[in-house]
Amino acid sequence: MELFGFVTPLFVLLIAGGTAIGIVFGVIPGLTATMAVAVCLPLTYSLGLENGLALLIGLYVGGISGGVVPAILIGIPGTPSSVATTFDGFQMARQGKGEQAMRIAIIGSLIGGLISLAALYLFTPWLADFAIRFSYVEKFLIILFALTVMGALSSDMLLGIFSGFLGIFVSLVGVYDVTDGGNGHFRLIPPGMEDILYGGFALLPVLIALFGLTTVLEEAEIGMPKGPSVKELESGGRSKFSWSIFRGQTLNLIRSSGIGTFVGILPGIGGSAASILAYTAAKTSSSHPETFGKGEPAGVIASETSNNALTGGALVPLLSLGIPGDSTTALLIGAFALQGIQVGPLFIGQHPNTWNSMIIAMLLANLVTFVMMYYAIRWFSLAVAIPKAILYPVILMMCVIGAYTINYGIMFDVWTLLFFGVLGWIGVKLGLEVAPFIIGFILGPSAEIYFVKSLESFGDFTIFFTKSWIAAFLWLLIAASIAVSVVIGRRRRAEKHAAG
Amino acid sequence: MKLTRRSLLATGAGAAVVLATPFVARAQSLPRNIRMVIGSTSTGGDTYQNSSIVAEALAQKLGVNMRVDPVGTNEALNATGRDSRGTTIMLHHDQIYLSYLYGVPGVPDAFADFAIGPTVAINPGDCFLVPKKSRYQSMDDIFAAAAKGEKVRVAIQPGGVSEIGFTGMRNAARVRNPGSEANIVAVNTGSQADKNQAMWDDLADVINGSIQANEQFTQLPEDDRTAMRFVWITARPETLAQAPESGMGGTSREEMLKFASPQTSVTLDGSKDFTFDKEFFLVFNREMDAAMAAEIDAALKEIYAAGEIQKRQAKAFFIPNYLPQAEAKAHLTSKRDTVASIIEKLKG
Repeated sequence: MELFGFVTPLFVLLIAGGTAIGIVFGVIPGLTATMAVAVCLPLTYSLGLENGLALLIGLYVGGISGGVVPAILIGIPGTPSSVATTFDGFQMARQGKGEQAMRIAIIGSLIGGLISLAALYLFTPWLADFAIRFSYVEKFLIILFALTVMGALSSDMLLGIFSGFLGIFVSLVGVYDVTDGGNGHFRLIPPGMEDILYGGFALLPVLIALFGLTTVLEEAEIGMPKGPSVKELESGGRSKFSWSIFRGQTLNLIRSSGIGTFVGILPGIGGSAASILAYTAAKTSSSHPETFGKGEPAGVIASETSNNALTGGALVPLLSLGIPGDSTTALLIGAFALQGIQVGPLFIGQHPNTWNSMIIAMLLANLVTFVMMYYAIRWFSLAVAIPKAILYPVILMMCVIGAYTINYGIMFDVWTLLFFGVLGWIGVKLGLEVAPFIIGFILGPSAEIYFVKSLESFGDFTIFFTKSWIAAFLWLLIAASIAVSVVIGRRRRAEKHAAG
Repeated sequence: MKLTRRSLLATGAGAAVVLATPFVARAQSLPRNIRMVIGSTSTGGDTYQNSSIVAEALAQKLGVNMRVDPVGTNEALNATGRDSRGTTIMLHHDQIYLSYLYGVPGVPDAFADFAIGPTVAINPGDCFLVPKKSRYQSMDDIFAAAAKGEKVRVAIQPGGVSEIGFTGMRNAARVRNPGSEANIVAVNTGSQADKNQAMWDDLADVINGSIQANEQFTQLPEDDRTAMRFVWITARPETLAQAPESGMGGTSREEMLKFASPQTSVTLDGSKDFTFDKEFFLVFNREMDAAMAAEIDAALKEIYAAGEIQKRQAKAFFIPNYLPQAEAKAHLTSKRDTVASIIEKLKG
């Protein structure tokens, strides 16, 4: 059994420990899977490659999965890839179905993680070959498809689109960084603020500000209603989980797993886009799209299945081309670099033991995460019984710590958090739609780079339509998504008219 | 277990000893906790790799805590510029002055605004590659094509080490056939992944890369669409000669030397070749106590004299290159001036 000689008690312990720590990082708003991996990266020196990777993979899978808890229970995405989970998960929690939503999410996460792991193990060379067929043009169209969900996510389509574009606009503040292929020039910065706004606004502080701080301010303004007591929650008066929820969701699970894996294999698209894309696809293909955003389990399934499916997908380009698929796998490559191991097209053939250890680590991390989360849900769900006067200050403190640490201690990120929290609170009063704004903010920089690079590389706008059959197919998806948004908008208007 | 006053006192005393230990071993003037910021946001790149090795060795030698923070060039310069207490130091490479010479907005003149510290290592891996099936087999083919009026597209990340090789290439074209440098054109991309993709999408004829990141692609068969071929390694031959004999992956040191000067010639002025070593060095706040800088310098001298760090650097394909602060500053200033004159000539 030399093939699996690396599977030692320490190896298993590191996966379990990594997963547990990762879940904690995911659960706490402001701390992310990427941060967990960054903190533990230097440990890989002393642990050796296989054991080091076991720890990091545990942190990665646990961190992504843990993000579901605050996303559902308090409406703050624990990690950026849980943004779409808040749309329906938080609504379900408000309807007293928090525990149900979390069980759905965890099962979806396990399925997504295992499907992407199978894809990683069986099809890595082919997937990598497919991934490199996506040029700037196709990547821009994928982002455009994800952006089309903006209109459908709002109570008023025009306001939603406006909020989304405002999000894109704000995301472009800062330097057009040469490390992204830009020209190093400043954009949208008032004179004299170049030093402060050089890097623009970081994603995580804006995210936790708009989902967390804004909510805290809103609730403080209206007065905090008393939540259910632990006794009430335990008495089972609230909705319980039933496997029947997954009836009719097979296609959603497979499609979302496919989208997550696929987005993972495309370097540069990012984890947040995976859940937004899967959510958009689920909504577009649903026979009742108007229920999305109001506590629809299919929305939670789509988001959580896809973001865990990303974990396997993101390892495909890393292990076959030496190119990380997302920000966390970009850290994983550091573990190889620290050990002096080259990662590229020959890696799997030259290091079969390391490859096998990563597959086993991914499998165990997914299973351990499932077991830990499934049994911990009961305790997590009791968090809603904590008086908000106690819970919210703690959340606020964690948000500030998270904002400060995300870029290794930049105070401007804390000011960003506070600024956008207040801005969100005022904005909502003025009709700003938070979800489209944040989607625009997340996807804006990628949309800009791929759009500009497409034009720089190919010269004119027709390339977006003529580049490849993949581009044509993406246009079909974009058209379908827009059509669904228009239909939903009309229905909403009709409902409003009928209601008087 | 029963908690007695005696056990509490023993625990307290033990904790005090543990806490006091770092003070005993710690250097005299340096702070207990030092943050080493680097000009890269990646933990997978050579800057993080190199700084981790150096930080660990320094922390051990000086008896201080040292942490590497990959914050990026701008934030690293800001953080170092704000802190004259010695709790923040920076490690970076030639990009720090190249960005300024190339006029990247917002980048200060590091030689004027900061104190340049000792050098620690060279990454000899900076290189240029073409697709394996390319009609350009060598740098001579590229210069010949440019002389004939063909546009040769080179994917680089502007404003740094990636661009300096491109500048050297254009300068050589100018020296060989004045005017032909206009046919060597830059395709501005971002990360290494973007440069590779530009090649695979046929948006670039030549890409800038590194031996570490691209070597495996050179081992692929010609019919593989991702297969590449080295055409130029920018490092000095003396530097490359210090790399392990086995080279990296499937490319031996001897094979690498075929792509470096003098076997592959990219002329500087018609008589000498243009070469460029990517050197890593420390950067301090200008107001930082000179005694602190001297203490770090002295520690590095001892570390390199012991010889252990060289083994770790060599394993990671770095060439150890410790130069004391004063020598490092003179060396890097001269290097900067040479580069500045080439950039200036090409502007004209």
